[in-house]
Order: sequence, then structure tokens, then C-alpha cells
Amino acid sequence: MQQFVNVTLTGLTEGMVYAAFALALVLIWRSTRIVNFAQGSMAAATAFIALALIQSGWSYWAALVVALVSGFVLGAVIERVVVRRVEGGPELNAVIVTLGLFVAIQAGIAIVFGSSFQSFPTPFGLQGFQVGDNRIAFTPTSLYVIVAVLITMGLLVALFRFTRVGLAMRASAFGQEVARLLGVRVGRMLTLGWGLAAVVGSLAGLLIAGGEFIYPAYMDSLIVFGFVAAVLGGLDSPIGAVVGGLILGLALSYVSGYVPRGSALVNVSALVILMVVLLVRPGGLFASSTARRA
Amino acid sequence: MTVLAAATAASTLAACGGGGDDGGGGTSSGDSGSNEASDIGITETSIKLGAHFPLTGVAAPGYSEIPTGAQAYFDCLNEQGGVNGREIEYIYRDDAYNPTNTSQVVQQLVLEDEVFAIVGGLGTPTHSAVLDFLNSEGVPDLFVSSGSLLWGDDPETNPYTFGWQTDYTSEGKIIGDYIAENFPDAQVGLFLQDDDFGEDGEAGIREYIDDQIVAAERYTPGNTNVGPQIAALQAAGADFVVGFNVPSYTALSQLTALQLGYDPQWFYSNVGSDPTLVGNLLNNFSEGQVSDASLLDGALTTDYLPTVDEPDNPWVQEFQRIWDECGGEGELTNYRIYGMSQAYTTVQALQAAGQNPTRDGLVEAIETAGSEWEGPVLAPFRYSEDSHMGTAGMSISRVTGTTTEEVAPVQLTDIGDAEIEAYDGEPAEVPENGIPDEESVVD
Repeated sequence: MQQFVNVTLTGLTEGMVYAAFALALVLIWRSTRIVNFAQGSMAAATAFIALALIQSGWSYWAALVVALVSGFVLGAVIERVVVRRVEGGPELNAVIVTLGLFVAIQAGIAIVFGSSFQSFPTPFGLQGFQVGDNRIAFTPTSLYVIVAVLITMGLLVALFRFTRVGLAMRASAFGQEVARLLGVRVGRMLTLGWGLAAVVGSLAGLLIAGGEFIYPAYMDSLIVFGFVAAVLGGLDSPIGAVVGGLILGLALSYVSGYVPRGSALVNVSALVILMVVLLVRPGGLFASSTARRA
Repeated sequence: MTVLAAATAASTLAACGGGGDDGGGGTSSGDSGSNEASDIGITETSIKLGAHFPLTGVAAPGYSEIPTGAQAYFDCLNEQGGVNGREIEYIYRDDAYNPTNTSQVVQQLVLEDEVFAIVGGLGTPTHSAVLDFLNSEGVPDLFVSSGSLLWGDDPETNPYTFGWQTDYTSEGKIIGDYIAENFPDAQVGLFLQDDDFGEDGEAGIREYIDDQIVAAERYTPGNTNVGPQIAALQAAGADFVVGFNVPSYTALSQLTALQLGYDPQWFYSNVGSDPTLVGNLLNNFSEGQVSDASLLDGALTTDYLPTVDEPDNPWVQEFQRIWDECGGEGELTNYRIYGMSQAYTTVQALQAAGQNPTRDGLVEAIETAGSEWEGPVLAPFRYSEDSHMGTAGMSISRVTGTTTEEVAPVQLTDIGDAEIEAYDGEPAEVPENGIPDEESVVD
């Protein structure tokens, strides 16, 4: 029983981490219709900036703010300077460009910050809460991750549903011509979308890093899991991303904990889950309309 | 071409006469002729050696320091005249612990850089990928940095490959025997890397305490979430956990155990146990909860080399001198001692291969004389025509703070049915300048 609780809680926390990253993918998809594979490297870059600040004596929270701001700047600059040149062309071009950025940024991090493993601090404890006689696999840091992801999700839902900016962003992503005719400044909206997505990605990167080890490629496996989570949720829905992340986190934790040699099967399981969901519901679990081409 | 080579060789020999006087090691058998470009990677004045190591990625912490230690040793050696008047040119490349990369960088080393031999290539999954290539090309593949049985138990299939460190099965046997004797009531859980490393270790340990083992959990390198595995060990009631894992997973397992409030007696096999490294990995975490290596305090581990926490050991003192004089940034670490010790054995092999070594001659030299060589390694090597296994012995020690203290002296064993017995040899003396002086056994 205790093992079941611990494996479940581990999966829950991991799932929230996948969800955080999936949220960033959803945001950029909603606002620009691009799947951004460079998201992980961009997040890693800001995490290394934060770590450098913390190591020079800054508080965690100040470093977090700087990392988020630098994430916004990085996202906006990349959109303006690099992605803008391929926008409007075949969709595949933009995706390939983000793949190139992914490699380039990762190499850049290694050049600037080195490629060694480093532990990343967390503002909260790493010891599990005490329940009765046992400690459970749920720490103050896990709680912080979950709360932060839920707040982010709420803000994104609110942004797209209740604000003019959110509406304008969605419009620019869907039909640039029409949006332009209606007076939306499409270029700005795209830049804003990239900037905001990078902020969310950066937050995910820092949440993942807290109490773990970072190195330039530490986001690599999360890109895969985050992407699977986002697709599970329909790639379009912040709530779907969180649910997708949780499903994936729990499923993978059970595989790892209960299947013999499960740790080796984790990546395969993610693929199987993705395939099954796409076969049953091609648009993802939370797809809002099936007619749209994805 | 030959005439030209002979002419330069004569002048080289004249120039290195002085080196022989003060170094003592360089030119002992050099009176029988002149240096020639006797094989690929050998010139009159240099020997080119290659290696692959994870300098980036999940296995890089610790392991990336090994080649810096070897480099420092070779640099100091070159200042003293090298081996038979030849400088060692040491090229190491990053494979990020990814077998695909290993194939690529080793092909580059062999085909483009044209190295004489590969020395100390690191990792079981990684080096497995180039085993066939090196043996079919006839490239000596010395002293693989891994304790897998693959490198030494079948010299007929892999005549050019040699192991170096204690193999994981022998290590498992020594650990199992120690537990059976000192912790007969312990419920043992195994935390294993899911490849040959974990399997070999498990096989050895099960020979002695199969009935004490209550759980065996495996992690896949690269998957950093070991929560389910540690939770399963806890649930199985293991109060003694033996880890055959790489250093970053020592840190991860400790961190996860802290999270779960799980506090068994830990025993990390030699590979994953460096307290300084694990301490450094954990040192950024919050509020002093995991401030230093204190998490590892009380953990048991094995040794087959002297370690940095033995400042009175003459080998450590000599390696410290070499690191201070020829090393790069940072401190002397156990990984750098490992690299230097491996370089030391390499020089022994090159000396034994004679003044004008060939690839086949090098293999013959190790098979003939290797079991006699003494050095920093605590127990002798098992090299012969029938076995390319490295050293066979280990001591057991306990981590206290950032140092270790010995709890069981060096014991010897071998793979298969070999018994475990105490080793009665004396520690070897350090030669002048830390350079060995082996006789040629081939010419």
C-alpha cells in the first residue's frame, strides 16, 4: 500500500512537470500554430541564467523573475529575428527551424555555462511530508510545482478566454489575413505569443530543475514527454495539457514501479500511450473541434 | 623514406641520452638499436594514443576528469623523455556515453588520427559498440574503463582487448561475502543499472547471499526518476541496499531516499561511490538539508586504487605532485588518480613492448609480463594468454564525512568458482618520478 501511494505521488509530481512543459507548447501552438522544438533548450538557457545568479548570491525568487524576463526577451527575439523569416511559408520549414534552434541553443549553453552536472536549488524542502509513521513521496517542493502549474494554467485559460489580447492572438494564429483586415497587428501578436510561451517554458524549466540536476541537455526527455502530454490533451487546451501530463506521469510511474525492468520501458510506454490515444481520438482527448487540421 | 627515418632516428636517440640518465625509466633497453616508425601511430619521436570518454551528459560528472588525469601523467612523462625517447601524444574525444557517438569517435581516432592503440575507453554500453571494430582492425584496445567481463574473459574472440579494473562479478562476490559475514541478518535490496554492469554485479553478489536478497530494482541510465525503484526497495523491506550504479545515480538515489525518509545501510560499488563528487552534486540544495557528503556518511564501498583521502599514501603523494606540476584546473580527485594509474600501466605495457613496439608486440608484452607488473593498483593483474582480465582484488571501506576508512583489507578472487582469499602482497613502491621501468619482453 505504501509503495502504491509513493509510486502514485511520484507520478503525480512528474506529471505536473510534464504538464508545465506541455502548457508552453500549447501556448505557442495556440498563438502561432507552430510546434516549437526549441522550447526545451530555451528553458534550459534561462535555468542556467537563474543558477548563475543564485550561485552569485541572489535569492531564488529574484533569480526566478530574471529568468522569466530573460525567457520573454529570448522568445521575442527569436521570433523577430529567426522565425519571422520562415513564417507564412510551408509549415514544415518553421518546425525544422525550431529543431535547428534546439541544437544551436543547447550548444550555446554548453559554451557559456559549461556542460557539467549541477544541482539546482529549490526554495522549499526536499523531505517528504510525514503521514503517521511514514514519510510519503510528496515534498514541499512537489506542492510548489503543482500550485505553480495550476496557477499558470488558470492564467492561460483566462488570457485566451477573457481578454482581447488573447482573442487577437488566436485570431492571428488562425487567419492572418482576416485578422489583419480586422485591425489586429498580427506581427506583434506573434512576437507576444512567442515571448509568453517562452516565459511559461522557462517557468517549467525552473520547476523541473528545482531539487534536481541540470546540464545543457536536461530538458531533452521532457521535450518528448511534454509533447506527448500536449498532444494527449489536444495541443490546443491548457486544461487538456495538464490532464495529459497527469495521465502520462501516472502511467509512466506505474510502468516504472510495477512492471519488471519497467524503468527501461518508460520511453516505449509513452509512445504506446500516444499511439493509442491518437488512434482512438485523433484530435486528442480535449480537442475542441475535429474539423480543424492540425 | 627508410633512409630519412633512420637519419632522424639517430639524432633523436642522441638527444634523449640525457633523459635516460635522470629519468631512469625512459631508455633502459634502448641500446640495441635506433627508434623506427615501427607501426601505425608510432614515429621515431612519438606514440599516438586515443581514448573515448563522456565529457558531457549524464555520465560526465567524475568520468570526464579521468582523461585529464591521464593527460597530466603523460605530460610529466614527456618532460622526462617519454617512453624510449618517444613522447606520448594523447587524444581523447567526447562520446557523451552514447554508443552511436562512440563508434563515430573511435573510427575517427583509428582511421583519421591513426592512433597506435586505444587506451582506457570508458563505459560498458559505449565500448561494446567498438569492440568488434577494434579487434577486426587489429588495434590494441587497452585497459577499458569498465568492469564488464566482456573485455577479458574471451581473448580468443577479442585478442586485442584488455580489461583493467576489478570486474563487476568479482566485486559482487567480495561484497556478497562481506555482507554474509558481517550482516548475516540484513535484508538486502539491489539497485542496479539495467545493463551488463548491473547484471555482472548481481551475478557475483548472488553467489554468496542469494537467500538474503529481497528485491532487485533496475534503473535505465538517462531516466532520472528513480522514485518508483527506491519506493519498491523500501516496500520490500530492504534494510541494506547495494548499488551498482554510476555516480549521478548515487546522488539521485540518496535524494529520493531522503524524500521517502528511507534510511537503509547503503553499499555503493566502487563505480558510484566517490564521496567528494556526490557531495558536489548535492551541494546546491536548499537550506543546508543536503549541504555536503553527509548523506553518504556511513555508506560502504570498495577500492582497488589508493584514494585522495589517504594523503600519507606515497602513490597519492606522487600523483599529487604530478597533478600540481602538469595538471590543469581543479583539484586532484579519485577520477584523476584513476586516469593516472591507467596511464602508468599503459607506460609499463609500452616499455615491455620494446624499443620499436608493434601492435601485436604490445599485446604479446601484456600477456607475457602483465601479471608481474606492480603499481598503484592494490592487487595484481590477471593478464595471460588465456585471460585479459585486469586486477582481481578489492578492499572495503566506509565513508565517514568526506573521507573513507578501511573496514576490510584487500581480498582476491576471480570470475567463476574461484574462492575469495586474502591478498598477502605488499603495496608497491613508487619509482623515481612516478615512471615505471619495465624490461622489454618482446625483442
